[in-house]
Amino acid sequence: MRTLIIDGKKYSDMLRAGAQNLNANRAVVNDLNVFPIPDGDTGDNMYMTISSGANKSGGSDLLGDVAAVSAREMLLGARGNSGVILSRIFSGIAKGLSGVKEADTRVFSKALRSGVKEAYSAVSVPVEGTILTVYREAVESTSEHSVESFEEFFDSFIREARESLKRTPDLLDVLKEAGVVDSGGAGFIYIAEGMKAALSGIEFEDIHVSESGPRKPDLNAFTEDSVLEFGYCTEFLLRLQKSKTDIDNFDLDNFIKWLNSVGDSVVAFREGTIIKVHVHTKTPGNILNHCQLYGEFLTTKIENMTLQHNETHPKPAKEAAEKPEEFYVEKPKKDFGIVSVAAGEGIREIFSSLGCDVVVDGGQSMNPSAEDLLDAYEKANAHTVFVFPNNSNIVLTAMQAASLCEDTDVRIIKTKTIGEGYSAISMFDTTIGGADEIEANLNEIISDVVTGMVSRASRDTEYNGIEVRKDDYIGFVDDTIYIDEEERKEAVTGLCEKLNAGDFDIMLVLVGDSVSKEESESVYAKLKDAYKRTEVILLDGGQPVYDYIIILE
Amino acid sequence: MLVIFTDTDTDLTPKKAKEFGYHMISMPYSIDSETTYPYEDFEEFDAHAFYDKLRSGVLPNTSAIAEQNYKDYFEPYFAQGDDILYVHFSRAMTATFENMDKAVAELLEKYPERKFYTVDTKGITIGSLNIVEEIGDLYQQGKTAEEILEWAKTEVDKFAVYFFADDLKFFRHSGRVSGLAGTMGTLLGIRPIIYMDENGKMVSIGKEKGKAKAIARLVSYVEELGEDIESHRVIVAHTDALELAQELVSILNEKYQGLNIELVDVNPTAGSHCGPNTVGVSFHAKRRTL
Repeated sequence: MRTLIIDGKKYSDMLRAGAQNLNANRAVVNDLNVFPIPDGDTGDNMYMTISSGANKSGGSDLLGDVAAVSAREMLLGARGNSGVILSRIFSGIAKGLSGVKEADTRVFSKALRSGVKEAYSAVSVPVEGTILTVYREAVESTSEHSVESFEEFFDSFIREARESLKRTPDLLDVLKEAGVVDSGGAGFIYIAEGMKAALSGIEFEDIHVSESGPRKPDLNAFTEDSVLEFGYCTEFLLRLQKSKTDIDNFDLDNFIKWLNSVGDSVVAFREGTIIKVHVHTKTPGNILNHCQLYGEFLTTKIENMTLQHNETHPKPAKEAAEKPEEFYVEKPKKDFGIVSVAAGEGIREIFSSLGCDVVVDGGQSMNPSAEDLLDAYEKANAHTVFVFPNNSNIVLTAMQAASLCEDTDVRIIKTKTIGEGYSAISMFDTTIGGADEIEANLNEIISDVVTGMVSRASRDTEYNGIEVRKDDYIGFVDDTIYIDEEERKEAVTGLCEKLNAGDFDIMLVLVGDSVSKEESESVYAKLKDAYKRTEVILLDGGQPVYDYIIILE
Repeated sequence: MLVIFTDTDTDLTPKKAKEFGYHMISMPYSIDSETTYPYEDFEEFDAHAFYDKLRSGVLPNTSAIAEQNYKDYFEPYFAQGDDILYVHFSRAMTATFENMDKAVAELLEKYPERKFYTVDTKGITIGSLNIVEEIGDLYQQGKTAEEILEWAKTEVDKFAVYFFADDLKFFRHSGRVSGLAGTMGTLLGIRPIIYMDENGKMVSIGKEKGKAKAIARLVSYVEELGEDIESHRVIVAHTDALELAQELVSILNEKYQGLNIELVDVNPTAGSHCGPNTVGVSFHAKRRTL
C-alpha cells in the first residue's frame, strides 16, 4: 500500500507511533551517554516531550490543526536540551502545515524544512553533530529528489538520518572520545521509524506518558563535600506580562544573549507571549530573578545535574539489554596504556587508581591465560601498552600473549611481585619521553624495590638454618625465607627487622583477606613506632595467599 | 601619598604587614557554609588546628569577595587623597579580581584624580610573599609607584616557587592545578611536584615517592634555577608539616652559606587548595620554569 496523502488523523497516529517506538527504545538512547556530561536521560526527555504532544493530538481531521495543537503541547512538555530542540522541530513543521487540510510529500517536505529553520533559531549556538545536524541533513537530502508516497519518503528520510548519525562523532569530539553517536539524533530516528510504521494503517492507542512521578534523585550523590561541577539544569516557561514589559517589542535576541552570559546549553524561544528557556547554570536564582522582570513563571524545573546524572530513571519499557552496534564507534587509541595482573579487590583498586587501564584478575594461585591477557591488551586501546605481570609465573604467558597481539606495541615490564608492579606503575610518567624512555625508566624503578611476603607454611622444612614448621608463618623475599614464627604479627615485624626496613623511605603494607582489622591496626601501630623515619602506609589489599605484602622503597 | 595593599593569600601576617606598611585584604574560606576572614575573624592563625581539621576529612571552599568589600577597603584612602598600589595573589587563579575591577572603576569615576596600581605576583602563598616583601622593602626606601612597577616588570617572573603535596584530594576539589594524571588520590607516599608558571597558574610536573626524594627534588630546583639567592629571601612554607620544612631548611643551609631563610605557615585560604603536609620553597631564580 502506498500513502500519498496524510491528514490530521494520520498525522496524529504517526506522532503516537513515533512516541511509542521511542519509548520502546529510550533506554538505548539513554545509554548513549557522554560522560562526564550529565546527559544520561536524553531518551527519557525526548519521550516526555513527544508523548505530551502525541497524547493531545487527536480530535481533528485537519492536518494543520493537529500539527499546531501537538506542537503547542510539546512546548509545554519539553524537557532537556534534546527535548526542547525536538519541540522546536515539530513547532516548525506545524508552521509549515498551518491552515493545511492534508498534505502530499511535497507539502510535507516543505514543512520539514520549516522545522529545520525553527530548530536552529531556538539554539543560540547551534552545535553540529547533534540532533540538529541529523534532522537537517535528513531533510535536505530527502527534499532533493521528489517521491510520491510517504513510505518511500520516510525510507529515504530514515536512511539519510542514519548516515548523518554515523557521522556525528566526526563532528563532535566528545562523542568520538566516548565512542558513541549523538543520543538526540538516535532518539529522533526512533521517532521517525515509528511514524513510518503508522503509515501502514495500524491504529495506535493513546500513548500514556508513564507519569514518571516525582523522579527520585539519589540525594547521596551530592554531599556536604561535593563540588558543584555541572550546575543546575534550569527550565521554565515565562509568560511575558504587559504590566512588566512591552510585549510586542520584547527583544528575544538580547534576552538570549544575556542567558548565554550567565549560563550555557541555552535553548530559548518564544511562542506567543510564552518564552521557553532551557539553560545550565550554577546560579539559577540569578536567572529567575532577572526573568521575572519581564513576566511571571508558568512552570519551573531546576535539577542539580550531579543528581540528575546519578538518578534512577523511571523504568523504561525495555531495558537496554542490547547496545545497537550502529550507535557505537571505535574510540580513538591513546598513546600509552597500562595492563597489570593482580589478585585481591583492594590491590586491583589501587592499581586502577594509579592509572591502570585494565587490571587482570590473577596471581600466585591463579594464573591468567594468554587469551585473558590478549583481551586486556586490546581493551587498553593504546598504541603502546605496558604490561606488569607482577608474578614470575605470569611473565612468560604475558610475552606469549604479546606475540599474538599484532597491531599494538606491547612492552612487558618483567615485574615479579606486586611490590615491583606498584612501584613502577605509581611512578609511570609519560612526560619523560617516548615508549623506549618510559620502558627504561620503569625497569630502573623496579630494581630499587624489595617485596616481603608473609604467608602460612604448607609443610615442615629447613631453609638457610631456619626451621620451618607446617602452619607457622614465614616471612620471605622471592625464594629466600627470613623468618618463621608461630604468631603472624611476629612474622611481620620480624621480617621488617631482617630487611632493615628503617633504611627505606616508604613501607607500604598490603593486608590480605584473612587478616582482621584489629590485627592489622596493631601491626600498623607497631611498625609506625619502630620505623619513625620511614613512611608507613597500610592498605587493605584483600589478596589471597599472602597475609601481608610489605613493599619497601 | 602612596598606600600599599596586599591580601592574606600572600601569607603576609599582620605583624609583618605593619613593619612594611601594608594594608591587608582578607581572603575568606568557608567550612560548612561558615565563612572565615583570616585575621579579621581571628588574631593568630592556629595552623595546626586548621590543618588537623582538614586531615579529619573537612574540605573547605574559598570564595571571591564582593565588590562592596573592595570599596570598603579602598575608598577611605581615595577619599583622603591617597593613591593605592595593590600587590595581589595570582589573577589567573580567581574570579575575585573581576569584582575588584568593577569596584575600582566606580571609585576612580568618583575620584578621578586618584591612581590605582596593581602588581600581579602571579603566585599564591610564598610564591607571592617573596615579591610582597621585596616591594615592601622598596616602599620603605621611599620608591614611587612607577619605580616599583618598573621593578616588578622584570622581577615578578624571577621568583620561583616549587612545592610538593601529600594528598591530591584538595587540589582536585579546588580544580586549580593542571596536569594531574590518574585518579590517584591519597596516601600512597607519592608526592606530586607542582610549581607556579609565568602565567600565574599551578602546574604539576611529575612526582616523587617518599618525603626524602620529594625534598631532594625541591632542592634540585633551587640549585638549577636559583640566581643570587643569597642576597634575597628564601622562604620555606608548610601546611602543618614543620619537621619536613625544617629538614628542607637544613639541607638548604648545608648547601649554601649565609642564606636568609624565612619559615612560614601557609594561610588557611590558600591551604584549602593544597591540604596538609605540603611543603614548598620560594627563591630568586633565573626564571620560573626549568
